[in-house]
Amino acid sequence: MDNVNPSAEFNNSPLAIAVDAVHLSFDGTNPVLFDVSLHVQQGEFVSLVGPSGCGKTTLLNMAAGLVAQTGKGSIQLAGAPPVQGNPQVGYMLARDSLLPWKTALGNAMFGMQVRGVPRAEAQERAQAMLQEVGLAGFENAYPKALSHGMRQRVALARTFALGSSVLLMDEPFGALDAQTKLQLEDLLLRLCQQHKQSVLFVTHDLSEAVAVSDRVVVMTSRPGRIVADIAIDLPRPRSIRELQKDPHFHELYSQIWSHLESGWSKHEG
Amino acid sequence: MKAEKLKWLCAHIAFICMMLALGEWLTVNRWLDPTFVGQPSGVLKFLWNNITSGQLWVDMGWTMAGTLISFLLGSVAAIAVGLLFVGFPKFEKFLEPYLNAMNVMPRIALAPLFILWFGLGLGSKIALGCSLTFFIVLSSTVAGIRGVSQDHVTLCKTLGASAVSTFFQVTLPGAVPVIFSGLRLGLIYSLLGVIGAEIIASEKGLGQSLAYLGSTFEVNGVMALLLVLAMIGVSVMKTMTWLEKRLLHWQ
Repeated sequence: MDNVNPSAEFNNSPLAIAVDAVHLSFDGTNPVLFDVSLHVQQGEFVSLVGPSGCGKTTLLNMAAGLVAQTGKGSIQLAGAPPVQGNPQVGYMLARDSLLPWKTALGNAMFGMQVRGVPRAEAQERAQAMLQEVGLAGFENAYPKALSHGMRQRVALARTFALGSSVLLMDEPFGALDAQTKLQLEDLLLRLCQQHKQSVLFVTHDLSEAVAVSDRVVVMTSRPGRIVADIAIDLPRPRSIRELQKDPHFHELYSQIWSHLESGWSKHEG
Repeated sequence: MKAEKLKWLCAHIAFICMMLALGEWLTVNRWLDPTFVGQPSGVLKFLWNNITSGQLWVDMGWTMAGTLISFLLGSVAAIAVGLLFVGFPKFEKFLEPYLNAMNVMPRIALAPLFILWFGLGLGSKIALGCSLTFFIVLSSTVAGIRGVSQDHVTLCKTLGASAVSTFFQVTLPGAVPVIFSGLRLGLIYSLLGVIGAEIIASEKGLGQSLAYLGSTFEVNGVMALLLVLAMIGVSVMKTMTWLEKRLLHWQ
């Protein structure tokens, strides 16, 4: 069982995200993305790692419809081209981006309300989500009164409460301290287990990528391209704490690290 | 906390009493000439007479009415123009040099013109108060809306919010704290404009009384009205702070 590639179980379902031979250049000469192809199966969790400026966030933002796709290639999310506000897609930013004048509950409801979920239903779902992220009892707290970790929990609740089938996450834990980060990674593992969304997750943090993903895709910079696509065959459900003791976790980590390094040395040479 | 506050209050009262006693002592002994600096007992007597005769309330009523009306008109117009500017940046770009020129001009210089146009009554006072309030609130409205968190705007985009709904859900509430600080300043400036216009030419109001008392060497009266104006200023600020705490309790 341990050696079975977990990605294999997704192979028969239609694609959640299909990026095919995408090129992008902002000024017409220097490519930002070069021939990038990436498929995310339904229910699959894929991380994009790479050095700063390799275009991983640009790729994510193209998928979210925030960056216009001007070059060759095609991007499809749940079978449709990227468009802002696609109800099938949820997006999560690095900073919590909570509205400071709304309570935790109001913030958790905000996404659903913008998408037209009736107030009563939004409130019910938001309350349930806040409970799920461990914030029961903090419904009426304003963001100012919450710690960074708690605020990002509210942001997770807001994102997951949308019920979108595809989630795009741009370093959602990038601004947190190490301890809080581990707790939230555990929470994210639980939420994904529960809600079965397909996730494209951009991060700088290799151990985070290995811990939460089914696959880790390594990008390198100038031009941004994919250099490796590594299946993370660690059994689920996972626990961040237990993973630290697993030698296979560390093998995968150093495997990805060497891909990143080869990207750099090629670049420098 | 309560005890601490009480201690400070007592210290202030003691200080004020001491200063009044010092002033009284210096003027009674003619070390300072009461003709020029007034005399604490004379100031209190003037205040008492004017409070009991009702004259002070009448003057204060005219001044406050002018201040509030010019504040309301000026800030409503400023917020409306500010929103227009944000919606149509080209419009702002075109008007900017003219507005800048008007803004840097000492607005009190407009008083003779306003008095000519709107007469000696409330109209000219409101016009001058408005002209001061307008620019302050305008710049804070534009700054507040421009300064809205880009993360919030991105969030709305990814959620598929329309431009109108983004504006009302995120941009406007996010700009309120900055607009509010502009309003707070605008209120003080509309008081300044009204008093200024009253001093220059008026039939009623605290500024008119002030000018009259000054020109008739009633220094006690001048001092008394300055005290009243300071108190009005302080209570206006306190009211705004209270309102801010109620409205922006999430800050």
